[in-house]
Amino acid sequence: MTASDEEIRELVRAEAGDCLQRIEASLLALESGAGGVEEIDSILRDAHSVKGSAAMIGWEESTALAHAIEERMERGREAGSIPAELIDLLLRAADGLGRAVNGEQGVAPPLLAELTAFDAEHGGESAEASTEGEAAAPHGPVAAAPTAERSPTIRVDAAKVDRMLDAVGEAVLHHRRLEHALEAAGPGIRQASEELDLGDVLLADLQDSVVQLRTLPLSVITSPFPRAVRDLAAEQAKEASLEISGAETQLDRVILDGISETIVHLLRNAVAHGIESPEERERAGKPRLGRIELRAHQRGGMVAIEVADDGRGVAAELVSQAGEAGSLADLLATTGLSTAESVSEIAGRGVGLDAVKRSVERLGGGLEVRSEPGRGTEVTLLLPLTLALMRVLLFEWAGQAFALPMTAVGRVVAVSDTTSLGNRPAVEIEGRAVPISWLGLGAGPGEVPPRSPAVIVESLGRQMAVMCEALIGEEEVVIKSLGAILAGLDGYLGAAILGDGRIALVLDPNHLLDAPREEMALDRPADVSARSPGTVLVVDDQFSARELQRSILEVAGYRVEVARDGREALRRIGEMTELDLVVTDVQMPEMDGFELVEAIRADDVHRSLPVVLVTSLGDEASRRRGVEVGADAYVVKNEFDQEALLETIERLTAG
Amino acid sequence: MSDVHVHVRVAGEHYALPVERVLEVAELDTIAAVPGAPPEILGVRNLRGQVLPVVALAAVLGLPGGDPTRVVVVESGELHAGLRVDEVLDVEELPPRSEAVESNLLSGACMVDGELVGVLDVDAVLSSIAVR
Repeated sequence: MTASDEEIRELVRAEAGDCLQRIEASLLALESGAGGVEEIDSILRDAHSVKGSAAMIGWEESTALAHAIEERMERGREAGSIPAELIDLLLRAADGLGRAVNGEQGVAPPLLAELTAFDAEHGGESAEASTEGEAAAPHGPVAAAPTAERSPTIRVDAAKVDRMLDAVGEAVLHHRRLEHALEAAGPGIRQASEELDLGDVLLADLQDSVVQLRTLPLSVITSPFPRAVRDLAAEQAKEASLEISGAETQLDRVILDGISETIVHLLRNAVAHGIESPEERERAGKPRLGRIELRAHQRGGMVAIEVADDGRGVAAELVSQAGEAGSLADLLATTGLSTAESVSEIAGRGVGLDAVKRSVERLGGGLEVRSEPGRGTEVTLLLPLTLALMRVLLFEWAGQAFALPMTAVGRVVAVSDTTSLGNRPAVEIEGRAVPISWLGLGAGPGEVPPRSPAVIVESLGRQMAVMCEALIGEEEVVIKSLGAILAGLDGYLGAAILGDGRIALVLDPNHLLDAPREEMALDRPADVSARSPGTVLVVDDQFSARELQRSILEVAGYRVEVARDGREALRRIGEMTELDLVVTDVQMPEMDGFELVEAIRADDVHRSLPVVLVTSLGDEASRRRGVEVGADAYVVKNEFDQEALLETIERLTAG
Repeated sequence: MSDVHVHVRVAGEHYALPVERVLEVAELDTIAAVPGAPPEILGVRNLRGQVLPVVALAAVLGLPGGDPTRVVVVESGELHAGLRVDEVLDVEELPPRSEAVESNLLSGACMVDGELVGVLDVDAVLSSIAVR
């Protein structure tokens, strides 16, 4: 067999797969009564096209099955409908065709025999139909134009897209290095920096397009679901329908691969444990037909996929216990409890929500469950939009760079003292002890230098403090695998290569390492008694910039308050009893930094309050405008380092 | 399959790697430690934009000491790693395996210029350290 033969086979299999998905969807539509002649036509076209390719390669079983389906459709088109009893048989014939196309032998004969037997049973009808069918043969050309209405697509090997994304990621890094080099060479090469700016835009565009290549709509995996729900319900003498919405929601293809089984599992649960028998439903005043919904939509930087049923819900006592366990999802996942009293064959005994939770967490997502006893259950999978690109907060520890997904970052605090929570080191935040996550590198958890920044990570309802030596900042990075050798290692989503070529390990917020239990007393003399050099209000609309400055200042001993824009800052200034200095960004919504300075200078009480403008606008005009409106200092973000900012603030608060 | 091997020195001993399994030889570079990984995995490094796990070959073989200067990048199926070695001596055809070996990480051993050379089974080495 030559490689090109195998390639053709692959292509035919892939095309047949698409056709069969449509055939199945149309058959289900016909069964539910929603479909009409256009569904029959669509099945006819698809069956015809599978038949054509299978015959070309010499797959006899596939050809025969496709032909049998096509024949029934031709009759159906003449008759204007397909007998309801035939649909189940046709669904199985379509399944068999799928298996035959993928090389399984001996599939066709029993199915063909059943189809013939069905014809014989419904003899009169079909004999009549078949003569009409022959008469209708000249209609053939209709079936020969199957592809006209589909939009043109190319099939590309997914690995090629990944390589392309890698290359684009590299190009972006290279571009950043070039920018650094140009900056270091000094000003004056205006044309070069303009070209670089243009390159920035083009690269971002390119990166977006490639990332989109990796995303696919949820609908690519949903087509078997209605059938699965129908079959499951039938097996248990229940009545259930599945309604899908938001199937156009885009997800990373790796995530799609990973969640298909999970969704099927949740649908099984909904049918087996959620939906009651038709009689029970009637007694409860519900319609006999149970309703299961699969909904997908974007929620913030994540995609939420919800599986909801209107069944019996989780037992009331479990719902009330949920508060103690953290959440209903945690409770159901840890105890392996199911909502039905007896575990039936179908629910895959022993494999409960814990498996669902683990598989979602492995993709960097989370699980939520809501339930109302007697009314139904809703399980939500929260998944990242893409695994390829991620906004992360970068920090240093033990001389290495690490990253945390921004979606999990709560805030950054300065830690001056560690306490102990159940013998494990912890930090106290707003009166609550938050356990310290320990990387096992560098200084021990009890030896944290005073006023170190800690990132508070919120994941699945729990908080953890990740200690840092220094924050680097927020960045969008390409996430790469740590390699197959480390694939089984928990704790990491992957690694990112930074602009300077260093590797930053991206921590998995759901699997942060616990600090080891320590026998020794961790309590050290508190450092907070040190005199605070003053109170600073930090104003920035960007979370990471705000938290970065907050941590720098808190580490230096200042008390810090924050505001998101000029308007909020003015309100805070009015409320605060103690305030020594304001550090503000320039570009902000509502009221920008220049307007804020003007407003402060126009206020009788606060007109002498020192204000430092921190901005990425490095040009002379902005600097001049800053001085004109009355700012005391102007720090450009490019040259923004801790020392410069702290010196400036110290100088201004000392007076 | 040819019998050409990459001949390396690791902690004072001589080993050979089948050339079909060797992708390249790289300089030592900064390695980012990966907390939680097995001790013989030193960490990961950036190799032209790819993330490559680096393995202390001496530790895998149970040899103390050594003076690593190079990384031999090897593959076995989808497993890739850089094996840290002291020195790459030669790329050469090996004589017949004349010596008996006991380690399951070696496929055989032979004498080259009076030195005992262990022939590494790269598949066994990589699968022995992979985190499953």
